[in-house]
Amino acid sequence: MAGLFGSLSMAARALDAQRYGLDVAGQNIANVNTPGYSRRSALFAAIPPYEKLSAGGGVEITGLRAMRDDRLERRLQQERPAEQREQAIAQTLAIVETALGKPGQSLDASLNAFFDSLGRLAADPTSAIERQTTVSQADALANSFKDMAGRLDQARRDADSGVRDGVGQVNALAQRIASLNASLGAAAGGAPGGEELKDSLNEALKSLSGLIDIGTIPRADGGVDVSFGNGRPLVIGANTYTIDVASTPPSGSAALLSDGTTVTSEVTGGSIAGLIQARDVLIPGYLSQLDTIAYSVVTEVNAIHQTGYDMNGATGGSFFTALPSAAGAARTISVSAGIVADPGKIATGGTATAGDNTVARKLADLRDARVLSGGTATLSDAWGSLIYRVGADTKTASDEQSSRAEIVQQVELLREQVSGVSLDEEAMMMMKFQRAYEANARFFQAIDSALDTLLSLHK
Amino acid sequence: MRTTFNSSFLQSAADLSRTSVELARRQREVSSGRRLNTASDDPSAASGSVREHSEMAALDRYDQTADTANSRLSVADSVLSDMLDQLTNAKTTILAAQGSPVTDDQRDAYAKELAAIRDSLFSDFTTTFNGTYLFSGQAATVAPYQKAANGTISAYSGTTSAIAVDIDRHTSVTVSFNADAIARGPDAADIFTSLTQAIAAVLAGDGAGMAAAGTAVERAFQRTTAAQSENGAGLREIEIQKGRLADQRNASKTRTSNFEDANMAESITKMSQADTAYKAALGAIATTGRVTLMDYL
Repeated sequence: MAGLFGSLSMAARALDAQRYGLDVAGQNIANVNTPGYSRRSALFAAIPPYEKLSAGGGVEITGLRAMRDDRLERRLQQERPAEQREQAIAQTLAIVETALGKPGQSLDASLNAFFDSLGRLAADPTSAIERQTTVSQADALANSFKDMAGRLDQARRDADSGVRDGVGQVNALAQRIASLNASLGAAAGGAPGGEELKDSLNEALKSLSGLIDIGTIPRADGGVDVSFGNGRPLVIGANTYTIDVASTPPSGSAALLSDGTTVTSEVTGGSIAGLIQARDVLIPGYLSQLDTIAYSVVTEVNAIHQTGYDMNGATGGSFFTALPSAAGAARTISVSAGIVADPGKIATGGTATAGDNTVARKLADLRDARVLSGGTATLSDAWGSLIYRVGADTKTASDEQSSRAEIVQQVELLREQVSGVSLDEEAMMMMKFQRAYEANARFFQAIDSALDTLLSLHK
Repeated sequence: MRTTFNSSFLQSAADLSRTSVELARRQREVSSGRRLNTASDDPSAASGSVREHSEMAALDRYDQTADTANSRLSVADSVLSDMLDQLTNAKTTILAAQGSPVTDDQRDAYAKELAAIRDSLFSDFTTTFNGTYLFSGQAATVAPYQKAANGTISAYSGTTSAIAVDIDRHTSVTVSFNADAIARGPDAADIFTSLTQAIAAVLAGDGAGMAAAGTAVERAFQRTTAAQSENGAGLREIEIQKGRLADQRNASKTRTSNFEDANMAESITKMSQADTAYKAALGAIATTGRVTLMDYL
């Protein structure tokens, strides 16, 4: 009888095991669309015989395995920073190139209109209308420079805002990872839910790697220690080391601090790195180029203007307000107050004769004068060069992002191959465990019937 | 190799995104007619387009200057023609006054005619165009000559140098004249003084005086003819240059179009291809998720 009861227990355990297998299949199907979920696989082991006349104790559930390849998870965390960095740069520069406007409709149009007005003034230097028009076009040109500089400044501020937001997200994710590490430590002691915690941990690390380039060291309990930059700690066990943000003068841009040390330059991957690159290198470069053009307009026009004579026979002063250097020229360029108040003070003549247009012709000829890039580029060429630079940088970032996105996608596909849920597979597993459950139920019935037969012998 | 539920959709989503981006790009090309909408579409073309827009603006500016110069020189040509007519009349009148017999009434009439010619020449030399004097050299706001109440005409008040304007990067035309070079030239007295002397000689019956004045008028005639010839050369240069400017502008416009405009046949063809690829991607996605083993359980 002990043997029959043992068989009954064995059947009961088998039913539990097959039911567990169905549960696992159901769990996989339910989480088919859960981000970061790794399909589960039930682990069974045969129970060995406990006596001479026993075939065995049936089956026991030994555990649950998540199909996860840590190498692929780490590879994904390594590839995402570069892809997200280029995406951040491409998105920021897309706004910048839109702000630059289309050829012939932007700052170059203002430059052309200014030189056109000088050409008309050269043809009729005594005309009050042409003089006023020249002042108006010069003012419009100055405003074009200021508008352009303002848009580039705004793009830089937006990138800085993105950096600050990104750091906030990094700190929040670090907190989450630390919390998961703590939970995994408890789960290692036998508490359930360890695989779910690991899935959540990988998903958090994936999100974090998109923001900033990280390094990870696995812990024995399944958690991870996270670092960034040159090995700066971010998460150690259940402890977080937040990244602080400090506004740096004079621009007020955010600097990243770790334990009081500025670490901005150590961040080389992730969207934060891309935004820093745009904010601190690319956009300032464009602004510097714009400033150079504006400064050249001011100095070259003034140099010629000061050799001439105005309508009253007086020597020409500055046409544009003189600037000390190219730095910030695009934001501060303006027509001299004296010229604005009295266009008659525009110096058009090489002599004090009212109709002399010699200087006006020289001013109009500045359109074609190669005054930049070591005497190889006109003002319009310099603007075209800036357009090219922004376009090329945007295209490069976009192409690089596309290329890296392909790599990230391939790694994700590889991960899916290992960890993803196949509905067809789960359907087969369901059938398998269902049939096994039916068979074990039959076995249970058979043992139960044998017991009935045995018990009926005592009547 | 396992194909999972998500891997199929992951791949399909990426393909769908790529085909839809290409389709949107070609649709924009066809609807706008432009292949260059942002600098990153083609950075070299964007830079080249900036250069060509500047070139066309410069050419337009030169063309407008040429038109203005042409109008100015046409007026000058008309004035110089009138001067030649007046000087011819002066020569004829002086010759007539030298004949014999000439009555006192006839002398009065010849003198009055010479005075009228002198006044006409004064009007010619003080002609303005758009409010500026044509014959004052660079002193465009100063009348070359002034007439006193008693009819005396002043000496030349303008400059010897003239105003030039640019009708091309390397070509300029003179659009004003030094009246003194026409009215006086190397002579000691200008044409107004010579005509005044002629009037006095006619009234006095001074044959030698009339002969000298006639010679001075003839020299003024030669100088005016030379000025008109030079003016004509300027008009011809403007005409030639306008032709060149038109050719240059057409060439620049063509280059700009090459940079900016889409090849419509190519864009429409590629849009059609992109549309086909997009629909194929949609169909593939629909097919992917259609049947699983679950449907057979």
